[in-house]
Order: sequence, then structure tokens, then C-alpha cells
Amino acid sequence: MTRDEELLVEKTLTSYRRRGIDGEIQPSPAWADLSPQLRETAFEETVKLRKVERALGMSSTVRAVLDRIHRG
Amino acid sequence: MTELETWQLAAIRAGDTGVFSSWLAGAEPVLRRALRPFAAMVDTEAVLQEGLLKVWQVAPTVKEDGRPEVLLRFAHTVVRNQAVSEARRLRTLPAGATPPPDSDPPVELSPPDPMLRERIGVCRDKLPGKPKSVLKARLEAEGNTHDGVLAEGLGMSLNTFLQNFTRARKLLAECLKKAGVDLALELSP
Repeated sequence: MTRDEELLVEKTLTSYRRRGIDGEIQPSPAWADLSPQLRETAFEETVKLRKVERALGMSSTVRAVLDRIHRG
Repeated sequence: MTELETWQLAAIRAGDTGVFSSWLAGAEPVLRRALRPFAAMVDTEAVLQEGLLKVWQVAPTVKEDGRPEVLLRFAHTVVRNQAVSEARRLRTLPAGATPPPDSDPPVELSPPDPMLRERIGVCRDKLPGKPKSVLKARLEAEGNTHDGVLAEGLGMSLNTFLQNFTRARKLLAECLKKAGVDLALELSP
């Protein structure tokens, strides 16, 4: 993986996602620029990262969902 | 269906976010694994978050069916349908094409692993300054802040922030491997 590809994958690993005008959670813009193979890599790395986050308290995905629920 | 599940479902139906939060912690890894076949078709993180929000919104209508983990099985269907719908919207799954086969519906939540928690905590504490600070920043952001904002808060460019995060992940994985934990194996179904 090149350094640019590594950065692109890293950008998708955050659980931060924008909301669209209709309120739907939007895909990461960086994800659209990944090749199918790098999308698989991003998935695997996300799974590992969420496992680490979960072990340290709560996964950032769960935190993001709860934050959206609390904000209404 | 156990008494605990019955109580849990009733509380979630009634809008108890604390109980939903506990349920989510166990359900998220299981539901994410179910999205594995869609990894190249959709941004599974966005799909999972949208699906979990829908589960919360529709949970009051979920009825017990006498079998275990009704909410988890319901969520599995919601998240999978969300993935199929998003893949069709993005045309990564062409109209008329058959979606990837469904995995078996999950039958249990993913339990916490105190041993893994301890080992990850030890390895996290051994991280050098910048990788440790970017990891901390993302964890504390709770998924509601763009990395660019977090980077600015730490006085870094976005690229430097991301490079430090990559370094943090690699160092954590190496440290865990030395402690006998292979995250890739840990994550196998």
C-alpha cells in the first residue's frame, strides 16, 4: 500500500460521518476514492479498531449512534 | 427468550437509552461482521450507524417471538436491508443483481473480554506521545468531530494526525502480538 493509499484508508476509519440534507448518514468521501481491494482493507482495519475502542470503554460507532439519538 | 432479554426489550421499547447503549455494545460487533460481504460495495460504517438508528426508532414495534435475541435478529435484517439499499443507490450492486447471500442470523451478543481489555490498556499506555494523543483525541471525540478539527486541536496538520493514527494502530497491534493477542484472529467469526 502506498503512503497516499494508507492515508485514504485511515480517513475512513473514523466513525465520524456527515449527515445529508435529508438527515441520512453520509458515506465517507474518502471511501468513494478507495479501490475495491482497499475497501476490504478498510473494513478489516475498522473491525480491529472498534475492537480496541470497545476494550477501552465503548466503540466510537456506539458513541456516535448514541450521540445522534441524544441530539434527536 | 430469557427474563433478562424480556426486561431489556421492554426498557428499550420504553425509550431507555442506557439499556439500549448496553445492548448496542454487544450487538455492534456482531452486526458489523454481517456486513462483511458488502465491504467493497458500501461504506459499512455509515450503513451500520444508519441501521442502528433505525433499530432505535423502530424498536417500540418489535414483538417477542419466543426465540432468543429477537432485537438482534431484527437489527440484523435492518442493517442488511440498509446495505442492499445503499449498494443499489451507489450502483455497486447493479439493479437486478442478487445481493450477497445472507449469513445465519446472529443468536447471541458479543460478550466483553476482560483479559483483552487489560492487555489493550497496557499497550495503549506504552504508546509514544503523539500516537497516544491522536488515539485519545479520536476516542474522546465520540464519533462526532471531523479528524481535521481534532488535528487542529492538537496543533497538527490533518495528514500528520492521520499518519500518527496509523502509527498508533500498528504499534498497538505489535504490542498485542507480543502479548499473544492477534487482533485479526480475535476478530474471526
